[in-house]
Amino acid sequence: MRHLRYVALAAALTAAILFPFYSGLYLRQVAIIILIYMGLALSWDMLLRSGQLSFGISGFFGLGAYAAVLLQLNTGTPPLVTILFGGVVAFVVAFLLGIAVLRLRGMYFAIVTLALSTIFMVVAKNLPSLTGGVAGKMLPSVVFGGDSVKTYWLALGVALLTVLASELFQRTRVFYALTSIRDNELVAKSSGVDVFRYLVLAFAVTSALQGLIGGTYAQIYGFVAPEETFSFTFLLLPMAMALLGGVYSTEGPVLGALLLGALGEYLKLHLPYGHRLVYGVIVVIVMLGMPRGIVGAVRTLAWRVGRKGGGR
Amino acid sequence: MSRNGERIVLETQDLAKNFGGLVALNGVNFSLRQGEILGLIGPNGAGKTTFINVVSGVYMPSRGRVIFQGKDVTFLPAHVKCRLGIARTFQLIHPLTDLNALQNIMVGAIFGRGLGLREAQREALAVADFLGLRDPGRPVSELTALEVKKLEIARALVTRPTVLFLDEAMAGLNIDETEEVMGTVRRIREEGVALCVVEHVMHVISKLTERVVVLDGGRVIAEGPYEEVANDERVIKAYLGEEG
Repeated sequence: MRHLRYVALAAALTAAILFPFYSGLYLRQVAIIILIYMGLALSWDMLLRSGQLSFGISGFFGLGAYAAVLLQLNTGTPPLVTILFGGVVAFVVAFLLGIAVLRLRGMYFAIVTLALSTIFMVVAKNLPSLTGGVAGKMLPSVVFGGDSVKTYWLALGVALLTVLASELFQRTRVFYALTSIRDNELVAKSSGVDVFRYLVLAFAVTSALQGLIGGTYAQIYGFVAPEETFSFTFLLLPMAMALLGGVYSTEGPVLGALLLGALGEYLKLHLPYGHRLVYGVIVVIVMLGMPRGIVGAVRTLAWRVGRKGGGR
Repeated sequence: MSRNGERIVLETQDLAKNFGGLVALNGVNFSLRQGEILGLIGPNGAGKTTFINVVSGVYMPSRGRVIFQGKDVTFLPAHVKCRLGIARTFQLIHPLTDLNALQNIMVGAIFGRGLGLREAQREALAVADFLGLRDPGRPVSELTALEVKKLEIARALVTRPTVLFLDEAMAGLNIDETEEVMGTVRRIREEGVALCVVEHVMHVISKLTERVVVLDGGRVIAEGPYEEVANDERVIKAYLGEEG
């Protein structure tokens, strides 16, 4: 069983790496976008595992994007290094803000993160000398000169890094810390969990991933602009993907991103104006029927079947 | 080491806690000796659970001190107190439902004692075995009432506490189950742990404890062996009201 999993995993990974060789430019572009959203969906879920709902995704995504672009324009730093810089900036900002706001819980924390996203955008709009104001900034060229194969691999690499981080969260003591905080913070504390430290850590790490992904996005498309870069699309779509696939796991958001990303693209071609409405409705229907998403429903089913087979 | 040694491991001096205008604790002086089983009783609203919450670091006191093994630990947060050796269970049971029983216990071992995952699992299995919690790989939803109580105790016990507060660990259990948990409490004491047991069922208190502290209105109104305390006029008044 375990071997089978590793074989399947290796096959999927090989297929993902070789994907550009059996796809055209269009499919590669679609895949790049899906990988970007996949990382955002997964990083959002990683914090949700502690019970904290963040609406800060688009904020830290945009922060990383701006950091990457501005560093390159002002210092001529190579593009790949500026992407890392985007992650570092998001980490530092989230760490400091986390210390200030992670005394809040639930709805209050969620609202503050939503405000942060907006504040970042307002700042970007109102510092024209640095950020280019409402017009934003253009890079002289996109990363790898627009080579879609290399760009795909870059997006894949960043998505895989997120998967790796997510698995580290799931397989180490972090899993026990976050799950116990989500289930009952009082019990977690009384069992020795330093709740505040783990929440700040989770917030900083997931925001760093979002900043890294933002930096990647900005380098791939070669520009930042307040309304586009801090768009709520980078907040709502990843959340929908994670919820559809199933929260509190690595598989769920990955699967959700693949399904909803592909579906969104398909609908866009056939319903150029109504596609968002249609996949919004799909998400609602799925959530009503499967509150733990597709992965959660499959697990419950497998558990029931296994019980019937083994137990009686 | 003598079981009923006189060494005080935990002490509170003039401990008080207000919630706004409500005085929940009003100057509690309390001591717990090494290896003893102490009963903490009192009518509803007397402040028993608040007392545990303040001592274990869930709430900070409004006044007074908590001394643990000679050190002032009054304002240390709950997770630090847990690591030092002050463990507690909860009156309303709170299993972590997204973890199975074994993983629930592991949380205490990992964070209360700083063990790695593999070691924590070994310790958690040992504690489950000690408490007679069979097949701990089960989801929490499949445990019986008795097993959930055991799970609560296990999660506290796995941190290797010096003192352990049991907040109504036997409430809601039938007579046989209560007997079993009482046996468990005695075995925990044999390991050198000092226990403070909050319980409403008086025959449990009378059979299990050597000394009883009675709280009423946030104050200690009586202290001593159960037989003495049970006949104390103030205690009878507190339970039955002024009219008697």
